Amino acid sequence: MDQYSLLGRIGEGAHGIVFKAKHIETGETVALKKVALRKLEDGIPNQALREIKALQEIEDNQYVVKLKDVFPHGTGFVLVFEYMLSDLSEVIRNSQRPLTEAQVKGYMMMLLKGVAFCHENSIMHRDLKPANLLISSSGHLKIADFGLARLFSNEGERLYSHQVATRWYRAPELLYGARKYDEGVDLWAVGCIFGELLNNSPLFPGENDIEQLCCVLRVLGTPNERIWPEIAELPDYNKITFKDNPPIPLEEIVPDTSAQAVDLLKRFLVYPSKHRISARQALLHPYFFTDPLPAHHSELPIPHRSGKHCRQRLQPPCEFSVDKPLQESLVDPALIQPHAWGCELK
Amino acid sequence: MYHNSSQKREWTFSSEVVLEQKRREANEKVCSRLMASGKPGASEAALLDPREEMVLFRHYEKRLVDFCSVFKPVMPKAVMGTAIMYFRRFYLNNSLMEYHPRIIMLTCAYLSCKVDEFNVSSSQFVGNLQESLAGQEKVLEHILGYELLLIQQLNFHLVVHNPYRPMEGFLIDLKTRYPLLENPEMLRKSADDFLNRAAMTDAGLLFSPSQIALTAVLNSASRAGLNMDSYMMDCLGLKEDKEMLSKLMETMRRVKHLTKKYELPKPEEVSICKQKLERIHGEFPTNTNLKRKRGHEDEELVVKRPLVAEEEFWTDEDLEPL
Repeated sequence: MDQYSLLGRIGEGAHGIVFKAKHIETGETVALKKVALRKLEDGIPNQALREIKALQEIEDNQYVVKLKDVFPHGTGFVLVFEYMLSDLSEVIRNSQRPLTEAQVKGYMMMLLKGVAFCHENSIMHRDLKPANLLISSSGHLKIADFGLARLFSNEGERLYSHQVATRWYRAPELLYGARKYDEGVDLWAVGCIFGELLNNSPLFPGENDIEQLCCVLRVLGTPNERIWPEIAELPDYNKITFKDNPPIPLEEIVPDTSAQAVDLLKRFLVYPSKHRISARQALLHPYFFTDPLPAHHSELPIPHRSGKHCRQRLQPPCEFSVDKPLQESLVDPALIQPHAWGCELK
Repeated sequence: MYHNSSQKREWTFSSEVVLEQKRREANEKVCSRLMASGKPGASEAALLDPREEMVLFRHYEKRLVDFCSVFKPVMPKAVMGTAIMYFRRFYLNNSLMEYHPRIIMLTCAYLSCKVDEFNVSSSQFVGNLQESLAGQEKVLEHILGYELLLIQQLNFHLVVHNPYRPMEGFLIDLKTRYPLLENPEMLRKSADDFLNRAAMTDAGLLFSPSQIALTAVLNSASRAGLNMDSYMMDCLGLKEDKEMLSKLMETMRRVKHLTKKYELPKPEEVSICKQKLERIHGEFPTNTNLKRKRGHEDEELVVKRPLVAEEEFWTDEDLEPL
């Protein structure tokens, strides 16, 4: 711990407390995530072990957040991650106008590369959502939170807002109580994130688990054993029945979207997990090879953590608007003169 | 995958000399610390030398194996293999005089159950001990007290690659690609025995799991009087690569040698060393309760410090735009 000087708090909630800190020796900015071990009768929680396991064994990948170090501290330990400026949920929330098609493609490509890498290394993330997709100061997207997010939500009855958010990205087999599932749950979540990027709002914003299922069913239609043979084996399938409902064409769900985007979205959002397009295959979809091409990371918006302070500072003193007379938008030269050292005003 | 694992990167060593060196250093470090205390029990004769530590290490390692083999519910082999490997890795850099092997061995088994997703509850785990309920609770408290120390000493490298899966792989390969061998399953029993013995040697700290597994399979075949040369040459494609072949033969010779020369320490030797060990731990206790308490205090400090730092941080930030 003496190696780091704390710079502030990045966030808390379902993840515990995450601090921003500086590695004193190298001057590098990092994120410190503390795992406390108090009052845990089984010792170090499995979720924490899983996160360490997953991140220690995979090679560095540009699209997965890097675990730089782990060290014990007090009665727990601290995970040291590279510092990331923001996350995709903030990008979606803060963007003034909807993301352009090229930008959506740019994010999707990075997300899919990260997911493909994880799956090829036999890692299921299980909790993909915009808040877990971190954005670096260079605009790169990196997958974070390998299993730790669940660690703190297990204790007690308290519901965290993050838990609610997670539900929106939960695959239908999980909503039906599946105990066994595969990497398809990640691909469903990728589909949900894709839809959210296209629409600038979540695709299936269920308020509770039952409503979540309703949201999905309303769009994909009521599932049956013909289109989804495995459904009969799912624990909660017989506990609840829904009125037969035909699917709504996805074109209506994500309007104003290119046909290729809709085609790719359709391949993620299918009931049988095995039929969802793999991340590696999705990267070869024509969507990524047609105009407009995916945006380079330098063309992506870079929001700021805890935007309030920062955005105020970054806003220009006056905004130009085509609806207002030009005069109102102009700055009185007398106001800026004292600041214009070295410039000669003629 | 083994090839990019922490096991290959950090826990596979070039030779036995390196391993001996590390153990000697760990021993010397503790000895000099205890001698510096000036207590009467800290004389050279009263402390364990590296050879004696090895005697006790083997003894407790065997106890760990026994504990795992009768564990209820039945413990998968990989979980046991991982536990043994944790135990070996731990005492590569630590002395038995500092941390008592009796509790470390149980902590290794407990952690490996969790890491390998062999889900038993903590009470189920200590239920396997021949202890009263109160005794079990106490042991559990000790285990949990040492868990953090253990993963720290393992450098947080938790994934262990055991030779059991590669052995299954070789058997499948023999069945599908090597019709010359009529019944590959007959190799299993003796190959299994070989791996169990190999687990109690330094083989896992020196060689890859597949090298150990191949040695086990070939050793089993040669004991059954079968010649596997054509499998090596044709199926494993070593005909074209003579250099690789000779390297692999040398590796397998070393694995076999390690496994062959393994023997349990003599009981009378064990009891002498054990007396020494107990005396040392009696005189220089490492009290986990004390440690945990101290940990708590540390934590209080930590919680306070960041809060202060944080306040300063945001104040600065708020002032900046003005």
